[in-house]
Amino acid sequence: MNWISALGPLQWMLLLVVPPAVLSLYFLKLKRRELAVPSTLLWRKTLEDVHVNSIWQRLRKNLLLYLQLLFLALLILACLRPGWSGQNRIGERRIYIIDNSASMQATDVSPSRLEVAKKKVRELLAETSSDDVGMVIAFSDRADVRQGFTKDRNRLFKAVESILPTSRGTDVSEALRAAAGLANPGRSSFDNLSDIMVADAIPATVYLLSDGAFGDLGDLDLGKLKIEYIPIGEEKTNNLGILSFAVQRNEDKTAKLEAFARITNRGDQKVDFTASLEFDGKLLDASAGTVEPGQETGILFELTDAQEGQLKLVLDYEDALQVDNVAYAAVRPNKQMSVLLVTPGNNALETALQTTRVQQLASVQIESPAFLSDPKYQGSSLDSSYDLIIFDQCAPVQMPNSNTLFIGSQPPQSAEPTNSASVDNWKFGQLQGPAIILDVNRTNSISQYLEMGAVYIAEARTIQPGESGTVLMTSDIGPVFAVAPRGAFQDAVLGFSIVQATSDGVGVNTNWGNRRSFPVFVYSAIEYLGGGITESSSPSVQPGWPIGLLLSNRFKEFRVVAPDGQATELTRGDESRYTYTKTDALGIYQVFANGADGVESPVELFCVNLFSSRESDLNVAQTIKMGYEKVAASRASVVARKETWRWLLLLGLALLVVEWVVFNRRVFI
Amino acid sequence: MAESSKINSSKPSSALLSAETMAKLERMELVSRKIFRGRMKGERRSKRKGQSVEFADFKNYVNGDDLRFIDWNLFARMDRLYLKIFLEEEDLHFYTLIDDSMSMDFGEPSKFFVAKQIAASLAYIGLCRGDRVSVSSFETSSNPNVIRGKASTHRLLGHLDALHCVTSETTMAESIKRFCVKNTGKGIVVVISDLMSKTGYESALRMLVAREMDIFLIHLLSPEELSPGAQGDLKLVDCEDGDQREVSISAGLLNRYQQTLAAFIEQAKSYCNKRSISYVPARSDQAADVLVNEYLRSKGLVR
Repeated sequence: MNWISALGPLQWMLLLVVPPAVLSLYFLKLKRRELAVPSTLLWRKTLEDVHVNSIWQRLRKNLLLYLQLLFLALLILACLRPGWSGQNRIGERRIYIIDNSASMQATDVSPSRLEVAKKKVRELLAETSSDDVGMVIAFSDRADVRQGFTKDRNRLFKAVESILPTSRGTDVSEALRAAAGLANPGRSSFDNLSDIMVADAIPATVYLLSDGAFGDLGDLDLGKLKIEYIPIGEEKTNNLGILSFAVQRNEDKTAKLEAFARITNRGDQKVDFTASLEFDGKLLDASAGTVEPGQETGILFELTDAQEGQLKLVLDYEDALQVDNVAYAAVRPNKQMSVLLVTPGNNALETALQTTRVQQLASVQIESPAFLSDPKYQGSSLDSSYDLIIFDQCAPVQMPNSNTLFIGSQPPQSAEPTNSASVDNWKFGQLQGPAIILDVNRTNSISQYLEMGAVYIAEARTIQPGESGTVLMTSDIGPVFAVAPRGAFQDAVLGFSIVQATSDGVGVNTNWGNRRSFPVFVYSAIEYLGGGITESSSPSVQPGWPIGLLLSNRFKEFRVVAPDGQATELTRGDESRYTYTKTDALGIYQVFANGADGVESPVELFCVNLFSSRESDLNVAQTIKMGYEKVAASRASVVARKETWRWLLLLGLALLVVEWVVFNRRVFI
Repeated sequence: MAESSKINSSKPSSALLSAETMAKLERMELVSRKIFRGRMKGERRSKRKGQSVEFADFKNYVNGDDLRFIDWNLFARMDRLYLKIFLEEEDLHFYTLIDDSMSMDFGEPSKFFVAKQIAASLAYIGLCRGDRVSVSSFETSSNPNVIRGKASTHRLLGHLDALHCVTSETTMAESIKRFCVKNTGKGIVVVISDLMSKTGYESALRMLVAREMDIFLIHLLSPEELSPGAQGDLKLVDCEDGDQREVSISAGLLNRYQQTLAAFIEQAKSYCNKRSISYVPARSDQAADVLVNEYLRSKGLVR
């Protein structure tokens, strides 16, 4: 037995007052004044019309009270709605899908589109019968089931209230699929059978409350799902939005930075605007512009002395959606990685490390193999002071705690492999020659730009990395270049040397050193293995999308500070690339690294910007297309059953009370 | 009950009949619509033939007739013996029965007191005319005190004073049945009652009708009964049997009561008329002598 209250607190109060009231009326009745009369003969005859039945009349005094109390007890019991949980028929199923994407923050309808949508859902919920089950899904560019199917309207109301605006894009298909998955039969395939239905179809009505900024939904099979599209917002709404904002280094004058923004006008009127650029919170520059309706325009700012800092572009224009009037960019901290090259002498390599771009990227320290036996090296390699160590024709006794690149040498291997992710699992062949590179792995960022067509190799050895390794180059004798993770580090081994020190001087082992692709290889290797950052402009993602952070292997722990000040601690794992997902807030995120000495240093900046022409377009779609199907807006309120039995019950109660009063008062009209 | 009897008995006998009233009453006489046989020589013409001054008829003399009544003048003319027959004059039997149920004890003055006044007035008329007068209540109906002559006025009043309302198990019908058994003579009977008997009054009156008496019914009602002034939510208690009725007085209810009362009176009246019973409605707030002088005169009981 379970109980569901059918009445609100006020209604309960009113109902519970009635039994004492009836009792008190009975007590009042007992206080009649006694009056002696000569005879009640005439009175009896007078009252006979009222009390036709003398038996009932005699019983009336008590029976009426008990009957009334019984009636009230039953009434209260009925209002408690007793029931048994069992194979209960469920009423209609309704799924409320509410758009909380960025465009729903528009204020063309007061107070905002999202609030209006929530209000409409509340109205719809209020109209549903108590048997109906409802479900609440919020969606932006992903679906979020806020409340699964329930009859409990309070939980549905709470779920609706919990929906907050986001700055994300719009993709309704996931929400519709989630709804369809619940409404349509599941299917299962077996080997010898065609697919069979594993559950009964449950028809449901979907109320889609959105501004329709999601375009064509394609061929979405909704099965028994009936869609009611309720558009939210004004059909024509003017809006000005920033579509992109980026900082680039000037090609000619490298010291200068250029900030470029693209601004769109999604209204039907020509708009004059002022854009102001703030650098670290101070107004740096401003620019005025004009955009024709439906067109875009670009504005350019030159930053002369911009070092590291945060840029914010604000459009000084009042429109319905303010979120897309702000854009962020950041000039990255000037950060160089440190690279150690240990070589007995290699002109080609040393020259390749002298290129401007490599110089910008890294500071290179060159040492001879004798340095390896230096206690200084022992210490510095252990505390990961180098991002990358390149061993040319030499190898350390023990693998250092940093990324490594071995050229023409083998990493040290212990006799017994201890860990699957270690150099111990590598397998190396004997030196053979000559060799020609047949295939280059284009998917890896070290080798993706390498052109090895005219490279000849005198001698090379085959390299087979461990399970998690990747072969980057394959020659006619087998794989000659591979990369594999080793704990938090990466090891790359090239199976042939560029030059080879022999007894009669230095001999050239391959002509790759003279090729154009060699400096590209060195740069790519340093960029990838060193965790280098190549651009002055920090990356930007749309809200809610994950961002991949290339974090230096020198640091173990990082801290990401969101624009709202919330910090997230990150611990670097096996890979140098870390995926950060908490990108809901617009603005600039700062990444700090915890150094070994406890000092925090900024290592990275990234921005989260809306940059969505679809979200900036506030015009409300009146139909949504689903493949060949079109769902028109149903602006009219949804027809739903309204409960009136409670009021009828209360009316009956009132009638009973009136009847009782009339009966006792003997008011004859 | 004792209290009410005290109240009633505390009233002086002079309250029943004032000297002025008595003077008026002395000039009246009781009239019977029927001629009855009396018991003693009186002032009323009787069905019986006998000695009086009024000539009735002649009859042939037969052996054994009283020679004193032979009309000698006629004998002289006709030479045959004829007897002269005169109408006999006898006394009139006059009975008064007063309802002594507790319901009569209501009103100011009480209905019972008014009933006693009426009874006293009528009885005094009878005494003055030498009629055989008997006054009793329902309770004492089996033991009537028969009195005669004006000299017995004091006895009459004393007897009336002794009557009071009682809570009796005996119904009106039983009392009248006893009365009929004990009083075989015919005459005028005056019943003074409010007819508020739950068992009905019809059977009681029927018995009197069967005795071929000249019956008068004085239906005495108090103003409280005729137009109740009570208001509000009441519990009405019957003073006779304690029956309780809960009422909330409203205009509608009073209307209905008036309808019931009118029907009740009409019913009694029609019952009486059908059986040659003279029905006299009376109010207890009306002076008894007015009733006797005007109403009963118009009804032909007195003249």
